[in-house]
Amino acid sequence: MSKQHNRQEGTMGSYVIGFVLALICSLIPYYLVFHQTVTGNGLLATILGFALAQMLIQITFFLHIGRGPKPRWELYFFAATVSSILVVVGGSLLIINNLHYNMTPDEQTANVVNNEGITQVSGFKTGACPEAHTNHQIVVKNNQFDPAHLVAAKCDTVTFRNEDAESRTIAFGTPPQDIAYAGQRDLSLPKNYNQTIILSETGTYQFYDSLHQTVAGSLTAN
Amino acid sequence: MTEKEITQHEAAADERAMFGFWIYLMTDLLMFSALFAVFAVLRGNTFGGPTGRELFKLPQVLAETIILLTSSFTCGVAMIAARRGNKGQTLLWFFLTGILGLVFLSLEVHEFAGLIHDGHTLSSNAFMSSFFVLVGTHGLHILIGLLWMGITLAYVIKRGLNGPLVRKLAMLSLFWHFLDIVWIFIFTFVYLRAFV
Repeated sequence: MSKQHNRQEGTMGSYVIGFVLALICSLIPYYLVFHQTVTGNGLLATILGFALAQMLIQITFFLHIGRGPKPRWELYFFAATVSSILVVVGGSLLIINNLHYNMTPDEQTANVVNNEGITQVSGFKTGACPEAHTNHQIVVKNNQFDPAHLVAAKCDTVTFRNEDAESRTIAFGTPPQDIAYAGQRDLSLPKNYNQTIILSETGTYQFYDSLHQTVAGSLTAN
Repeated sequence: MTEKEITQHEAAADERAMFGFWIYLMTDLLMFSALFAVFAVLRGNTFGGPTGRELFKLPQVLAETIILLTSSFTCGVAMIAARRGNKGQTLLWFFLTGILGLVFLSLEVHEFAGLIHDGHTLSSNAFMSSFFVLVGTHGLHILIGLLWMGITLAYVIKRGLNGPLVRKLAMLSLFWHFLDIVWIFIFTFVYLRAFV
């Protein structure tokens, strides 16, 4: 056989090493996720790292790319493909996340006020609350809001929680007219879900479940 | 032409064919990357339905991962035997690879059937659509690989391990290793990610 022919060939040893290393790279992230030893972005970065490591291991020990005589066209073509993938996947995520973030004018307002803490836009106060807040809870249970009327201070937070079996969609205003409160419209609450809003606008506001309009309550922010 | 020249000529043809197949694999990878991008964008859009965390069964997915990885390994061992011209060993190891591939595929079909039985179908929400399309496309590749393996092995049994058949087996093994690499990312970004 010619020398060229050897470039695709692996030895038993290289396959065994690759197999064992790849197995380790599958088991460790599985263990971490299953037992939640690490959480959040740290965990995400770890499992991403193990996936990339395993890809490199398999490319080296199973596909034998990057070995053999030059020029290594396979390697070059692979690198070009990976670059395209980074552009397509990375670009899609960047653009779509931005679109998600700025989906509707209401949400834009909510983001400006709540997430970015911008207190003033073109001379108008946005009502943003940069300081820490007290949290209140309003629970929907047995078709009733508890408490039915909440009195709180401006910049406090309110967590709506649904403990009924059916999904709730909480709207502000008096039915059938709904308004946006603090940039929020229609808080979607499946069973046992929480949604927290910041009381960035003062005044008394009615809210109700838009599918069962008799389920209603109100809040006052001073 | 002398015998040496003929051997060199065949080796060069092999090289070209393998590189052509590599280019195909890279375009396939681009297609998968588009499906991954779609999944990444739509994974949160459950339309009030359950998320991956509530639907996926991690132990079964780990089993699928290990089975596919093992089949990738046996496929490599089969290729060593094929290059040495050992017909019996080649058939044995490729047969093992095929069985593992079938087990993997049946586990995946079992998972899909369970989801559909519980009312989580392709049309439930954007998350389910992108999930079924991404994982299903990978499963379809596995199915095609298995059919291809069956046909090529039938030729090996009939005609023995000649040059062109070894080349076909080499492409097949490249395809199989490639599918395992794609699966690593499905395992990580579709299944493990759901529990982060």
